[in-house]
Amino acid sequence: MAEIRNCRLPLSEEDAASLRLGDMVTLDGRIVVTAGIPTHKRIVDCIHGKETLPVDLDHAAFFHLGSLSREKEDGTAGLDVLYMNPTTSTRFNDVMPEIIRHFKLRCVGGKGGLDAECARALGEVGGVYLSFLGGGSPLLSDAIRRVVDVAWTDMISHYRLVTLEVSALGPLTVAIDARGESLYDQIADQAVNRREAILESMRQARSRIG
Amino acid sequence: MPITDRQIAELSRDLYSWSLRKVPDDTKAALRSARDAETSETARKTLNMMLTSAQAAEDGDRFVCSDSGVPVYFVRIGTKADWDADIKTAIRDGFTELVETIDPPILKHVTNPLTLERGYFGKDMPIVTYDLISGADYIEIVCSPKALGSGRWAAMELFTLPTMETIEAYILDVAIKAGSQHCPPVVMGVGIGGTFDYCAKMAKEATLRPIGSVNADPTLAALERRLTDAVNATGFGPMGTGGDTTALAVHANYAAGHAFTPVAVSFNCWINRRTRARIYGDGTVERIE
Repeated sequence: MAEIRNCRLPLSEEDAASLRLGDMVTLDGRIVVTAGIPTHKRIVDCIHGKETLPVDLDHAAFFHLGSLSREKEDGTAGLDVLYMNPTTSTRFNDVMPEIIRHFKLRCVGGKGGLDAECARALGEVGGVYLSFLGGGSPLLSDAIRRVVDVAWTDMISHYRLVTLEVSALGPLTVAIDARGESLYDQIADQAVNRREAILESMRQARSRIG
Repeated sequence: MPITDRQIAELSRDLYSWSLRKVPDDTKAALRSARDAETSETARKTLNMMLTSAQAAEDGDRFVCSDSGVPVYFVRIGTKADWDADIKTAIRDGFTELVETIDPPILKHVTNPLTLERGYFGKDMPIVTYDLISGADYIEIVCSPKALGSGRWAAMELFTLPTMETIEAYILDVAIKAGSQHCPPVVMGVGIGGTFDYCAKMAKEATLRPIGSVNADPTLAALERRLTDAVNATGFGPMGTGGDTTALAVHANYAAGHAFTPVAVSFNCWINRRTRARIYGDGTVERIE
């Protein structure tokens, strides 16, 4: 495996296309994060013109990360983000294809992956899914350089739409590539294919004990 | 001097806070062993990141994960313990104090399932299970907050006079269904038998057993070895991106029951949140983990 590669955001079409399943990357630049299902539904509402989206998501890096934002302690305007960490992306399977296609997202991510339809959408727009370390809050939070914007503050903290400037965010594992190939689908298929052999091994182990 | 409300409230509060910042020592040791044995480079790197994150949290007194879960406690009261406290209220007060004082603040994860409204508090929170310890002169409190990542993959099925093969195949299938999504490598707790409610409790309690401890029941010890090998043979690996380590351990409990047999499976993600302390009548608090 190659060394961990640093990528600049927004990720170019060429950079996205060059990433292989299992590659590890770190990211520099601007990301948009949220962990809310209601937030995703609200983004879809924005796509349908019911509300104006407060951030620019075109070709963006959009990640399933929950964060704690609160008023700055020194009383100055804006919010601080104290920590962030990934949430399970499959929870957003039903809304992600539309969001990926509409904004031609170059980078999505979180933990646990996305389903085949989302992978197809990523393949169509040349985007990748990056796997974050669950339980990686200290490492991921240290990558935050600046809070650019915290939108939808009427929602609870981890549902808000937060734009951050990050440096050396990661390492993150490329788990769905820009052709729509999914490490998650490959691994799940492999597990299902191995199931009979695993059951047979357990049968043999039980018979040894008698 | 009997054990007081204040002592129980403070300990409940502290156990929760500690659980968010420290990965248990047995779990870190198991992650290190897994890293050393891994044949996949991605998996080795991922396990190394886990160990680095755990250390950074411990050294900097920071949260390992942003999902602080819902409060779950196990209280075991020694039958010789000297106490004069409203334990239920004291634990609730301890959790309220945690919410009001913890720095940084935790996120609002407690959810009303009827309205999906989220906050810090809710009906029947914290979730507390009570038990007795014969002859002990202390009260033991275990805190094991449950977060969404691993919490949503627990499962139970009721069989009628199942064979061991049926039971083990079911447990493997629950692990395959959870797949890449529960922040593996996980600790799996299994309950076999009893009744619907008791079986779920056994599975949850099995996750709390120290990793590396051998089941006193030889039949279950053999089942645990087979299932650990089986789940790791699936290949999901750390964070589900491939590797030899999907489960750090499988722990099982069983109870006699009727001819219907519940089988329950519960998961703890790799950070394996679990703190435990004993409180004695003389005011001494002994932190076990």
